[in-house]
Amino acid sequence: MMRFRTFLLLGFLFIHSKASAQVRHILSGTVRDAATGEVLIGATVQVAGHAIGVTTNAYGFYSLSLPAGPHRLSVTFLGYRSLEQPVSLNTDQKADFSLEAVTQQMEEVTVTAEKPGDRVLNPEMGSTRLSFRTLRAVPAMLGEVDLVRTMQTLPGVTTVGEGSAGFNVRGGNVDQNLLLLDEAPVYNASHLMGFFSVFNPDAVKDVKLMKAGIPARYGGRLSSLMEVRMREGNSKRWAATGGIGTLSSRLLVEGPLVKDRGSVLVAGRRSYSDLVLHLSGNEDLKKNSVYFYDFSAKANYRIGARDQLFLSHYSGRDVFRVDFEGNKLNLRWGNRTGTLRWNHLFSNRLFANLTAVFSDYDYRIYIPAGVQDDAEIEISKGVQGANWTSRIASYNAKADFTFYANARNTVTFGTNFLQYRFDPGRLKAEGDRSTVHEIILPSQHAREYAVYLENEQTFGNKWAAQYGIRLSAFEYLGPGTVVDYPRTPSETGGPSGERRFEKGQVIASYLHPEPRLAVRFSPAAGRSLKASYNRTAQYIHLISPTTAASPLDIWSPSTNNIRPGLADQLSVGYYHTLSRWELSGEVYYKTLQNQIDYRPGAEVKVNPKLEAELLYGRGRSYGLEVYARRHTGRLTGWVSYTLSRSEQQVDGINTNRWYLTKFDRRHMLSIVGTWEAGKRLSVSATFTLNSGTPVTVPNARYEVEGGTISVPINTRNRRNTFRLPSYHRLDLSATWKNRPKPGRRRQAEWVASLYNVYGRRNPFSIYFQQGSNAQATEAVRLSIIGTVLPSLTYNFTF
Amino acid sequence: MKSTHRFLKLLLSAVAVLPLGGCEDTISVNLKEGERLVVVEGSITDRPGPYTVRLSTTAPYFSNQPTPRLSGAEVVLSDDRGDREVLTETGPGLYQTHRLQGRVGGKYALTVRVNGEEYEAQTEIRRVPVIDSLRSGFRKATEARDAGYFLTYFGPEPAGGPDFYRVKIFRNDTLLNDPQLDLFFFSDDHIDGNYLNGLELGAGPFRPGDNARVELHGITEETFRYLRELQKQMRNDGLFSSPTANVRTNIRNTRPGGKPATGWFGGSAVRTGTLVIRK
Repeated sequence: MMRFRTFLLLGFLFIHSKASAQVRHILSGTVRDAATGEVLIGATVQVAGHAIGVTTNAYGFYSLSLPAGPHRLSVTFLGYRSLEQPVSLNTDQKADFSLEAVTQQMEEVTVTAEKPGDRVLNPEMGSTRLSFRTLRAVPAMLGEVDLVRTMQTLPGVTTVGEGSAGFNVRGGNVDQNLLLLDEAPVYNASHLMGFFSVFNPDAVKDVKLMKAGIPARYGGRLSSLMEVRMREGNSKRWAATGGIGTLSSRLLVEGPLVKDRGSVLVAGRRSYSDLVLHLSGNEDLKKNSVYFYDFSAKANYRIGARDQLFLSHYSGRDVFRVDFEGNKLNLRWGNRTGTLRWNHLFSNRLFANLTAVFSDYDYRIYIPAGVQDDAEIEISKGVQGANWTSRIASYNAKADFTFYANARNTVTFGTNFLQYRFDPGRLKAEGDRSTVHEIILPSQHAREYAVYLENEQTFGNKWAAQYGIRLSAFEYLGPGTVVDYPRTPSETGGPSGERRFEKGQVIASYLHPEPRLAVRFSPAAGRSLKASYNRTAQYIHLISPTTAASPLDIWSPSTNNIRPGLADQLSVGYYHTLSRWELSGEVYYKTLQNQIDYRPGAEVKVNPKLEAELLYGRGRSYGLEVYARRHTGRLTGWVSYTLSRSEQQVDGINTNRWYLTKFDRRHMLSIVGTWEAGKRLSVSATFTLNSGTPVTVPNARYEVEGGTISVPINTRNRRNTFRLPSYHRLDLSATWKNRPKPGRRRQAEWVASLYNVYGRRNPFSIYFQQGSNAQATEAVRLSIIGTVLPSLTYNFTF
Repeated sequence: MKSTHRFLKLLLSAVAVLPLGGCEDTISVNLKEGERLVVVEGSITDRPGPYTVRLSTTAPYFSNQPTPRLSGAEVVLSDDRGDREVLTETGPGLYQTHRLQGRVGGKYALTVRVNGEEYEAQTEIRRVPVIDSLRSGFRKATEARDAGYFLTYFGPEPAGGPDFYRVKIFRNDTLLNDPQLDLFFFSDDHIDGNYLNGLELGAGPFRPGDNARVELHGITEETFRYLRELQKQMRNDGLFSSPTANVRTNIRNTRPGGKPATGWFGGSAVRTGTLVIRK
């Protein structure tokens, strides 16, 4: 199969490459960090002074076809000392490079004028990569370095509000981002309802966000790809990294499994506010507790020169315990992922990666007898003494190949298979005062398949293109009994009769070709103009009718009622790299099909007729994003500005007219800066300014219940026509390193930070309620964080 | 901090260690003024009347006064057996029946002619089980409630259905009707046919000597959905609030494209239980 495919590809390439008589050889190898042995992702290997070059892949591998003879190679990577090395190619050759990290930003860094930076060299656009180091430099809320929060300072990325889970990219819902942690999909990326993301920063090597021109290799979500790579662990020596913070503590241990052949890394983190609360005098708080923990582990081993194995694991949990008269309501949720990868070099030109992934997300709630109603988790009244569980699990096998065909063509191709199991909800009686009998919503099963083929080709010195196609398919499988529900409120006839399906029978199936195209034109070194078009299809959906996504939301497959989401995006951008600055401007236009919204008052928890509560519509979003990043010197950081609009049209909502989505932001500005004040002190600041969230407000009220209850009403039934006041916030942090001693490994630093420095009460929402009586109506602003939050963290490495 | 949001409060205590004082405050907001709509609220039960229909209009959200009543309307109540009665206005906007009597299984229609428009609404009266007994127990104060005596409910829930219920709780003949705390309704979705063995009724607190009266209303699915949407709007606050949306109405203008109205007309069968609170 494999050989056949390669053969086909070679035929395919033959047309495009002017096979010359000139003798060429292959130079291939790996680029690593000199001190830790970690591979470097996205390092550039190029012939000095030429546009010919490649960037290393996710495993640090590169392959470059060059004419026989002497060359001067330059290897560059941001934050590392560039390397120039002569090579003389008489045969195919292997060359591994080790780059030295620049430990102090202050030190003179040799920056060559033609240093390309991967944003200019690749046709890939709409992407930003943040290294572990950059992530750490940004001021963190309560000292918790956070990927998702830092992502929110990039152009085109929004959130529905402070402390809400996930993020929105270019007008896409939170479920439209594919979050991959070492290739494993993460179904809920939030700790503490959404204040923090689940990734332990110490274990993260880098994170890449792609908003447009998504390569054919990736699919399954409409709006973006956020790829998080865990570090492999130090393959030279044993080391430990950790931190003691205001909110949580972390510890990471890493070391060589077998020196220079493999390494292992284990990292854990736990928040301990619950322990602090236990010491406090507050009786009420003592009985309740909230905490989270997570655990990451990774091991890799090189078997010979051609094979490498990676095994990674993540698990995390959040725990809430709420006391009701001595009976504790207990809520826990979390993700688990496991990834096994095998890198194999079939030849110095054909790189393969085989991956097997398990990933799940589940929650369980114990609702004791005697529980009182709580609006936050919307327990159905009458349900007391019950265990409530829900889960999504997926098994994923994929094969990805990169064929470095020649100096001008790099072909990627592969296949992906996903098996899903959804358990939307089970309710089981617990204890003798239970009012409940067992309710099990039947499991749903589905399969997702994809094959893709893509070529990255350069034409002359100025043009390059990445073109490919992904063919994705989805099957919603039995056993099951399904009903077809009306798709719009005006549709008459009601639900259809029940249809029964046996195990493995296909209830509904979908097939979508997803073309992907990106073109780059570089009129001069360091400048490029790029354009891209891509279609993406999404087959699983987060059912979340609330303003902010909740940990109790469930995922649903595409079914006979829910059709797969489709997105088409056109994007054009200009990129300019100066010696210290990287500048870009992009515009985009995106349309979305089969977007889910909810009937008024929709009940989505443990509801066997969930699909009857859904409405479907279309979306569109467009915008301009400007980004300027200074990556060297004493002052580093970035400024990003976005002008955008994001709308939806759903029959049955807003009298069938277009309305703004809750994540529409007219203007967004972020300024992130880090200043190396001295050899030991650095100071960082982040300023964020966003237009307010569009919300629905009443324009009248009426009285019911004999005049005792005032009900807000929008007499024209319009949605999201009012904007909350704009959101702005300044964060500061200072890092004070201990005095470095030559020959001593131990390093330590203190990080002090202030979140929301001027204590602005940014509104999360404004709601309307009656006060002492039905006539005393008022508007109330809810601010999740209304004060400045200070924190102090001690970090160490030895 | 709103009393019903223990989770949010707890969450913030976890994040900030020190409780954050006052993250909710009243602000002034400039709202556009909407057009005036007719509001109809009526009910019918299986117990002897008179039944009352209340007609009013919407008002600016911050009007700070009772909303205007609608007088001089023609209000007609009829059932599925051909019985029909014109209601009499007994006070401003209050219209009452004289003899018509609701029964379990009956279907009812309400017609209102006012301001040159005609509005219609339908409902029915569904079954209701008996209340076996009520008990009371002392509960300590929580963020939501003061300390005192609270009621627990004992009684069957008939198999089959689906059935929907609303519980109204009266303290010394006054309906406890805090819109955020006291709207109590449920479906038998997860508890069909089970004995309700000590169901916690939230409204209170009661003091020793108080007369407690509990009405169990068997309501329609539509009324249940109406109450659910109403409650969502009454609790539009926390971290996971639903977007603000209009509460459903079953009042329809008979003329297509005519001016809409809002409000609810609901039928229910009622059983009552009483208890004198003792120490």
